[in-house]
Parts: sequence; structure tokens; C-alpha cells
Amino acid sequence: MTNPTPESLICVGAIAGSFGVQGEVRIKSFCAQPEAIAAYSPLYTEDGTRSFTLRLTRQVTGGFGARMSGIATKEEADALKGTSLYALRDKMPNLPDDEFYHADLIGLDVFDTGGAAMGRVTAVHNHGAGDLLEIAGTGRGDSVLIPFTLQAVPTVDLGSRRIIVDPPAED
Amino acid sequence: MARSIWKGPFVDGYVLKKAEKSREGGKNEVIKIWSRRSTILPQFVGLTFGVYNGKKHIPVAVSEEMIGQKFGEYSPTRTYYGHAADKKAKRK
Repeated sequence: MTNPTPESLICVGAIAGSFGVQGEVRIKSFCAQPEAIAAYSPLYTEDGTRSFTLRLTRQVTGGFGARMSGIATKEEADALKGTSLYALRDKMPNLPDDEFYHADLIGLDVFDTGGAAMGRVTAVHNHGAGDLLEIAGTGRGDSVLIPFTLQAVPTVDLGSRRIIVDPPAED
Repeated sequence: MARSIWKGPFVDGYVLKKAEKSREGGKNEVIKIWSRRSTILPQFVGLTFGVYNGKKHIPVAVSEEMIGQKFGEYSPTRTYYGHAADKKAKRK
């Protein structure tokens, strides 16, 4: 089996160290539902050369205790401390229309309705009042935030990796 | 100590004026405000405010469940990027 390419991987967690003395690891999950990290097994290292199946065993402060395939001793678990864990993008379930993974949106090229380049999506935020796209680049000093609404972002084309925005006017 | 009910909710006067002007204009625009302390009133529902966080104006689209909160609650002054992982965004 060939190793996955870095582009097909998404960081979903990290190994925070060993847990106990019997080869369990302490996992920090970055998922929206933290326990969902186990559903994305097998998990890979950043370069995709090593893979692990993960089984959560308990909840611990700031994460989970887990068993990983190929890790049988505390020394092996300690050696992996700080390793980021990546899941295959294809493992994530398909979403309904108008719902997108942050990982898919980040990096898309942004154009205005006239076709002029505005930059690139660098982050997706939600401060409690709806999702916001942070757009940076193309000669603009500071990044701008655009509400992720049908009105402000009429087109999201993941195939050609571009979105078209119609930013609201400012008073 | 909670604010006395007889005083009513606090809103800076200029916020009310700007919101009224925007509503009359009927345009889709971000109303720039600096007043993080103002209470969100029912007449603000449907409008989008740009609430200053000390650096830039964060777009806040006001919805019904936000009534009674303060604008500042939706415009954090510190930004944490974190990891995208499997987080989702919905276009409304």
C-alpha cells in the first residue's frame, strides 16, 4: 500500500506523551467532537510513513488515554511525545450542501464578483454570530473578515479551489 | 451587581442612530461601531454590525437569540487559530 500524500491528510490530534507504564498514550484531540478522533483511524504521522490504529481507553485531563497499534511499552509511547496525528481527508463523512469543512475552505483563492483576486482564505472563525472567513493577501496589509453567508459568499467551488465573494459595504 | 431593571437596557446613542439609518436605507452594509458595551436590542435583528475589537471591526450578524447580550461578547479581543481538523462551517 502506498503512503498517503501530505495534501490528503488533515491534522486531527497529537500525542501528548505516555499514560501509565503499560504503553498507553495520552492523546490531545483537535476534533469538533473530541472522541471522534478514534473514528478516523488509521491515523498517520505528518509525512505519512507511519500509521496507527487508535482505541480510546479512558478520558484523562485535557484529552484521552488510548492504545495505539505498535506501541506496547512506556518507552515507545514516550518516544512519540509531540507527534501530530493526521487523518485521511477521505475518511471524513460527506456534508450536506452549504456545509464545508474548515480544512477544505482554508487555502481557497478568493475573487470578487468582478473577477479580481482578493487573496486567500487563511482561517475560519466563529465567535458566536455565524462563521467568518479570514482573507489575506494581494497587497492588503491586514486581513479582512467576511461573513460566510449566501449573500456575501455566493459561490464556493471546491473543484477549482476558488470562492467568489461579494463583501458587504461599510458605512 | 446587576443593572436595575427600571433603567432599561443601555445602548450608546450613536449606535441607535446608525442602526435606524441603515434600516431605513435598506442596504446590505456593515455598521461600524466601537461601542462594545451596548446591549443588543430587538430592532437590531437582521442587521450586521462591525464591532471593534481594538484592532479591527469583526462582522456580527445579529439574530434573535443574541438579544440582551452585549456587542463585545461577539467580538473577541484575542484570536486563537487552533486546528481545522474536522470542524465545519455552514453557509446561511
